Amino acid sequence: MRPATVTIKKTPSRFRHQVPKYKVTRSDACINCGTCARTCPYQVHERREGHNRVKPPIDYKCIGFECQNKEFCCVGKCPRKALSLSLNPMYETLGDPRWTADMITGTWIMAETGFPPERKDLEYNTGNSGGGFDKLRFKFPAQPAKVDPAEISTAIPLNRRNDGRADVVISTPVYGGGMSFGSVSLPTMVSKARNASIWNTFSCTGEGGYPEMLKPYDDHMITQVATGLFGVREETIQRVKIVEFKYAQGAKPGLGGHLLGEKNTESVAKMREAVKGTSLFSPFPFHSVYSIEDHKKHIDWIKQMNPTALVSVKVSTPNDVDMVAVGSYYAGAHIIHIDGGYGGTGAAPDIAKKNIAMPIEYAISKVHNFLKSEGARETMTLIASGGIRTAHDLAKAICLGADGAVIGTAELVSLECVRCGNCESGRGCARGIASTDSELADLFGEEWATQRLTNLYNAWNVQLVEILQKFGLKSIRELVGRTDLLEHVDYSK
Amino acid sequence: MPKKYHLHAKATPLDLDFIFKFKIVRGENCINCGRCTKVCIYEAHKRRKNDPRKMADPNTVLCRNCFRCIQECPRGALEKSLARDFLNIGGSHWKPDMMISLWKQAEDGKVPVTGAGYRGRFTGPGFDGMWTDMSEIVRPTRDGIHGREYISTGVELGRKLNHLTFAADGRLQSKIFATIDIPLPIIFDIPAENLSANVRLALVTAAAEIGTCIFLPAAGIEPELEKYRANIIPCFPAGEIEQHRAAISRARLVAIEYNEALLGELPRVQAAIKQIGSALTIIRVPAVKNVETIVSQLAHAGAEIIHLVADYRGMEVGGKAGSNPRLLKDIIRAVHLRLVEAGIRDEVTLMASGGIAMAEFVPKAMLCGADLTAIDLPLLIAVGARLYENPEKLLVLPEGLDKVPVQIVKQRMVNLMVAWHSQLLEVMGAMGIREARRLRGETGRAIFFEEIDHDTFGKLFKKGEAARV
Repeated sequence: MRPATVTIKKTPSRFRHQVPKYKVTRSDACINCGTCARTCPYQVHERREGHNRVKPPIDYKCIGFECQNKEFCCVGKCPRKALSLSLNPMYETLGDPRWTADMITGTWIMAETGFPPERKDLEYNTGNSGGGFDKLRFKFPAQPAKVDPAEISTAIPLNRRNDGRADVVISTPVYGGGMSFGSVSLPTMVSKARNASIWNTFSCTGEGGYPEMLKPYDDHMITQVATGLFGVREETIQRVKIVEFKYAQGAKPGLGGHLLGEKNTESVAKMREAVKGTSLFSPFPFHSVYSIEDHKKHIDWIKQMNPTALVSVKVSTPNDVDMVAVGSYYAGAHIIHIDGGYGGTGAAPDIAKKNIAMPIEYAISKVHNFLKSEGARETMTLIASGGIRTAHDLAKAICLGADGAVIGTAELVSLECVRCGNCESGRGCARGIASTDSELADLFGEEWATQRLTNLYNAWNVQLVEILQKFGLKSIRELVGRTDLLEHVDYSK
Repeated sequence: MPKKYHLHAKATPLDLDFIFKFKIVRGENCINCGRCTKVCIYEAHKRRKNDPRKMADPNTVLCRNCFRCIQECPRGALEKSLARDFLNIGGSHWKPDMMISLWKQAEDGKVPVTGAGYRGRFTGPGFDGMWTDMSEIVRPTRDGIHGREYISTGVELGRKLNHLTFAADGRLQSKIFATIDIPLPIIFDIPAENLSANVRLALVTAAAEIGTCIFLPAAGIEPELEKYRANIIPCFPAGEIEQHRAAISRARLVAIEYNEALLGELPRVQAAIKQIGSALTIIRVPAVKNVETIVSQLAHAGAEIIHLVADYRGMEVGGKAGSNPRLLKDIIRAVHLRLVEAGIRDEVTLMASGGIAMAEFVPKAMLCGADLTAIDLPLLIAVGARLYENPEKLLVLPEGLDKVPVQIVKQRMVNLMVAWHSQLLEVMGAMGIREARRLRGETGRAIFFEEIDHDTFGKLFKKGEAARV
């Protein structure tokens, strides 16, 4: 159920062209008669008044091979048979097996329209990685119990300890990942926060401190205490509803955060109480934590400082992640946030991203089952992240045992990230999302970005409601741990 | 505290063509407005030097795939695709992206760092089907992997005792075998034939600079390489000891090829080599189907160091066509396990080679049970060699490489090893391990795809399995 604060507005790309999936080729046989311009309802072809020649086809507007069944298709209509349709080689340069070109395109459409794409030619729910979520499918019953979509709840509580602290309930089971001031541009950071308040969920400051611009969104911010303790102050701990300890990050488990000197501009340095232009390292791990007892000490410290805040513990996914989760339970955390090995980052060694620690799919199952057998599952909120790319990934993660998820990359893709992976180099993100460069960070405004994020969250929520409806369930909470509703492409035969 | 092992990288560009990934073509409908030069932060688009009214052809090597020019060109005049060279090079094991990464590491000696998450397949054959573990709170050192405390990547080669025996009066009775320390668990394997003199010399000098060794056929070792004798491992057939007396007498390590006859002869052969000098003997064993049996027999017969040699893609050799060869990961695990079961694993050193393509393969091979690894092709890719797997193995050295000064060729090889060393530290740091020797056979600190996938999804979704849970 979406909060009243959400309004959906069409918010097109900030660029002139989209990345085309198809290529329309016009051969020399063309006589510039203009038939194609008249017949195509998608404005692929244009012949301006008074011009002799038809303009080159605008590939990205073409809906592809499904058009060939339509009466108006230019390929069939051309009297000279001068037009042909093929897959555009450019499309191969977009995306990768985890985030396919279709998935990126689908996310862009959601951010533009606020709803799942109507196009039938995009496989935007599942990637092509050949494992994990990409091997799981929903097992929808043929005749589910009838549920009115208006009655379906996607809200989840984050405090299950019944300890007198804030009863935080988020309206959709997903919130924004920590991206520090310095690693992303200010419009990115602020729009993430604004969207979190619009959607009655959360966004996270990351470890770089709490910029004043985020103050209006205090009730929807998580502030992070990471190993570098950059920008951690008493007043920032006191102004939020959730404080997160970041032990490790899925993309670089066992390695500290690293802000390259080039990104440490004057304002970033001020926030972090550091010297401008120097590279800033967060050590790994917490040098004051050697045991669960030490960990509890830290949690108690935060609880003392802010008597109503919830405490979240973000860890990576080693072999013993289940033990770590139970340790956090005994230490008094409200949320255990596990970040899988294939998660995003602003900068990490390739060797770490690919090879260190397990993918989130296994960790969710491990932690959920272990917390259950320890009798702690009902008291803890289990949040998964690191490779949750789509609403389907989210629902699958919940079926495997998570209560909700944190997303990062998907949010950035909605702001037209192409996942080129150059966030860290030179002036930073060429598309202005993850850059503090004065010129690049100015490529889009908060209004546009907030609406794109709000639209994306809406599209995901629409998909979640649809999934629940197909299962005949009334609440997302009924989906937790329902592995019986999933099947595996290879195993379930 | 031992002296720190520190390698020095030096930015060393090589002015030879190498593959690149993205190709941008400017269409005829370009109106030379210059929008692309404004939006490209990598300077791939520029105006022509001799005629600034026109746009130059895109310097597509610089393209980082940000799509800005594509999306902002007012005429849609730019087209991008995957470069043909990129699509053709390598194969299923030596992926084109790996080659670009190796080339880059050789240039700056840095750990490849990128933004955004992992972009590849979920899992894959061989070493791609395993992950290394990490620890949330255990750390190798107090001030990070590049801090003051020492993380050792060194390994020892040679035979070791299972236990020590002492006389009644407390005197040590066991005879301790000599071992050789190498500061990095990587040795350079026998280089490809027909390398130009500068590349061959660079390989030897690079090995010397980083303190490791290189295998060279004893028959063709040039006299000018004499001063690197501590870093050269002469290889010869077991029957030709006498012919190579000189080389053997000067070497720290020598290598002989395994053949069936060697099994009975081994004590005699090793004794003959010991008589000439102090070199330890490496036995190069092709990774055939029953290699674990061969290795076990050799170890029982007193072998000091055994080198498992798989093919260039890390596959079992000598099998019949269509016989589903094992991959290096599984070969090492089988051999290691056989030696553990026989109670003699610690007595022999196990080296593995074949298809070691990226830095992560080194710690992974060690986790599977190898003491160290040997590499060859990455060192040549570092200087621009192109490797093709299809239709058959083909190694193409770049034109002009033979004219490049030895110093530059060597530095690029050193840079590559600097990058690999740093990456090994990253992996060890994450695991909280500060001795590379402790990686060996630590399968408990590895996560194997087939095991965890079965434990998680197999139990949930496999028919029959579900009933048992």
